[in-house]
Amino acid sequence: MEDQEHAHPRYYLIWFILAALTLAEVVYAFLDLPKVVLAVGLILMAVWKAVLVAMYYMHLRYEPARLWIMAISPLPFAAILVLFVITEFGFLR
Amino acid sequence: MTTTTATETHAGPAEHHELGFIRTYIFSTDHKMIARQFLFSALMFLLLGGLLAVMIRWQLGFPGRPLPAFVRWIFPDTMAPGGIILPEFYNSLVTMHATFMVFFALMPLMAGVFGNLLIPLQIGAEDMAFPRINMISFWIMPVAGFIMLASFFVEGGAAGAGWTSYAPLSASGEWTGVYMGQILWLISLIVLGFSSILGAVNYVSTVINMRAPGMTWFRIPLATWSLFVTAWLLLLAIPILTGGLILLLFDQTIGTAFFRTEGSGEPLLWQHIFWFFGHPEVYILILPAMGFTSEVIACRSRKPIFGYHSMVYAMVAIGFLGWVVWGHHMFQSGMNPLLGMTFVVTTVVIAVPSAIKTFNWMGTLWRGNIHMDTPLLHAVAFVALFIIGGLSGIFMASAPVDIYIHDTYFIVAHLHYVLVGGSLFGIFAGIVFWYPKMFGRMMNEGLGKVHFFLSFLFYNMAFFPMHNLGVQGMMRRIYDPNQYEFLQGLQPLNTFISYSVFLFAATQIIFAFNFLWSLRNGKVAGNNPWKSSTLLWQTPSPPPHGNFPEMPIVYRGPYEYSHPDHEEDFWPQNAPPATSEAGGQFAPAPNPEPVPGD
Amino acid sequence: MDRKPMPGMMVYNLKLGMWVFLLSEVMFFTSLIGSYVILRYAHPEHWTDPGVILNVNLTAGNTFLLICSSVTMVKAFAAIQQGDLKGLQRWLLATILIGATFVGVQVYEYIALMGEGFVPMLDSYHAVGRGNPHEGPSLGGPLYGATFYAMTGFHGAHVTIGVLCLIFVYVRALNGAYTAEHLEGVEVIGLYWHFVDLVWILLFTIVYLI
Repeated sequence: MEDQEHAHPRYYLIWFILAALTLAEVVYAFLDLPKVVLAVGLILMAVWKAVLVAMYYMHLRYEPARLWIMAISPLPFAAILVLFVITEFGFLR
Repeated sequence: MTTTTATETHAGPAEHHELGFIRTYIFSTDHKMIARQFLFSALMFLLLGGLLAVMIRWQLGFPGRPLPAFVRWIFPDTMAPGGIILPEFYNSLVTMHATFMVFFALMPLMAGVFGNLLIPLQIGAEDMAFPRINMISFWIMPVAGFIMLASFFVEGGAAGAGWTSYAPLSASGEWTGVYMGQILWLISLIVLGFSSILGAVNYVSTVINMRAPGMTWFRIPLATWSLFVTAWLLLLAIPILTGGLILLLFDQTIGTAFFRTEGSGEPLLWQHIFWFFGHPEVYILILPAMGFTSEVIACRSRKPIFGYHSMVYAMVAIGFLGWVVWGHHMFQSGMNPLLGMTFVVTTVVIAVPSAIKTFNWMGTLWRGNIHMDTPLLHAVAFVALFIIGGLSGIFMASAPVDIYIHDTYFIVAHLHYVLVGGSLFGIFAGIVFWYPKMFGRMMNEGLGKVHFFLSFLFYNMAFFPMHNLGVQGMMRRIYDPNQYEFLQGLQPLNTFISYSVFLFAATQIIFAFNFLWSLRNGKVAGNNPWKSSTLLWQTPSPPPHGNFPEMPIVYRGPYEYSHPDHEEDFWPQNAPPATSEAGGQFAPAPNPEPVPGD
Repeated sequence: MDRKPMPGMMVYNLKLGMWVFLLSEVMFFTSLIGSYVILRYAHPEHWTDPGVILNVNLTAGNTFLLICSSVTMVKAFAAIQQGDLKGLQRWLLATILIGATFVGVQVYEYIALMGEGFVPMLDSYHAVGRGNPHEGPSLGGPLYGATFYAMTGFHGAHVTIGVLCLIFVYVRALNGAYTAEHLEGVEVIGLYWHFVDLVWILLFTIVYLI
């Protein structure tokens, strides 16, 4: 397993960022903004947190590139399901 | 256990402590034994699925006639009073026929049997990456099968909403009269999903990480490639089904309304979720058969597969495109027409890679030194019948045409051409071809040919006319077409089809006899009876525990048949290169890990 | 004379297997979360503004807890990477306790919500919202309840399974099964645990905040 001498402080730094982002999300969610702006902003923050967990806690940053390429491979299919079917209900309404 | 590198394998059984009967035959972790377990279970379910089909054809061929006396007593009055099949029971028959065939026969045969048998042996590994998970993956199947069988015996009988289980019909027992049976159907499939997912994890990991040195991606035999792509489809599609099944189960049991129309549920959502799984599912059912066909055709024509690289790319393309065509099952659902148009385009496009493969099989046969034995007969039949099934698919890919033929017997014809004409004949090819490796003996060639010709004949007699029935308006899953005046004239054709199905079913007795008889009495096979060049045939039949005395080194591709530089008409992948200059494209591939010189 | 297989994914089998398995989990949660997105898009009137029915602050705290458990997990792994068995044991125990607390808080939350009439069933749905009297009007609609319990319930089930697996790993750690050279079991349970955290990060946002 790869050893990163700088790993230890990194873990706590990431923790701090995650905690800060969580707090930011909660505050942001109750601001008086248009729904779409709220939703997009919140999703961006959530994805940012998720990527941090994946890259640093799950060590994807330090694994061979082919591993994270494999890891993101289901995402397009997941997106296709949701996006295609949403158009369905856009039509029916 | 969790080793990073595979070291020398153990040689032969002598080096292992003797495992008892239970560890050898019941709870085995050896991929070859697990393959056998899957084979026997799947063939039993294939038999059951076939018997259910015979009953369906009894009703359609002789509507309202009581079942013959020797079987009548089996069915209680809730199913067939006086031997006359009830409409509700008929709905269960069509549902359960498809359910058992798809989930308990075809999938275990494709992935469970051949995935387990072929992958480690073809890539030069000693077993799967996770042998104990492999064992668990098998044992989940009989548990799920038991639950599914039990559903016949509960009040209300077995599920009757079609194998596609559309809501709201399936979400509440009001209309089918089936309550517990539908719930058990859902639970059974949820459980079975774990078997597929765990198996897929094993297959993907094994192919990626356990290939013998020199076995680059483009030296992997096509059967393993097909199973690798299939494993990815299983991995990603089955969980979608599981999620949908769970939501439907909630609708039925605790009273949610995800798909029920009350309370703003969306029946169409069920269809989307189901078919988003369902379309990759049908490629799961056909891709391995394509792989087997490639193996058999190359070997029995004594020629390299025509266009090996394009065969791989075609299978990968089918794997990708299969995710964006699901809406073609839903053209008549009331879906957004613009979305429907999108699916028409994608569906027509996906015909292309299949066509490429078809031409490549023909290119392989062309001018080959063809040995017309049983596996090759089945493989060629696969190609021919798959073409017919594929062509009917082009018709239904067009949404306007589908308006007319959706949910008719035209669809039934199409699906049986690809699943029986395609998958089943492909499986027959695979079983006859790999039987010697599994059991150490050859199946009887004479019986094999008789079984093939009769099956081919009766199969086409049964299913080709269904195209006709469909175009003339006979709908699917219908209990009694004679209730419609415009269908009454079709009864003779339906009766003819029923007789053909009975004959087709009876012919399988020959196969069963051949299979069982040859276990003890077949000609002893030796290592390589078909003179194939893949690694799998460079071991004893059946292979010992650990498969190879030491990990083989691979020097060339999997289909070096009739090579001009080589005397024999096949050149095993692990035979060391000739000392003279046989270099160029046939030199061993550069291996990043240095291999100590031998 | 050691023959090695092709490099493949260039990680050991167990790690590759866990990653592959996690991809199937991605698709499983896709079907549940995707259904939610689609149903909400189709019937937005079933949902309320954030915080009206669900307790955002409590769950934000719970989210923070789960993130903490990810840190303790990764510290556990870092410990055994240095060969520190005692450190592994301590950090694993911390992860287990925090994970169990997360589940406990969720159970408490479920009980409170159902008490307020926020249930998954169609017929008995009558959610009055936080701090409102029981005879108040029903807020939102049954799809809100049904999707909420489906998504968070299955996530909670995954956390529970994770805790049980962690206990198994912890017991093995107590028996000294792991060393700096032999820590694959810790790493892969860590991957699973982080994944569960990752899913929650997304779920918390879309279920509680949007």
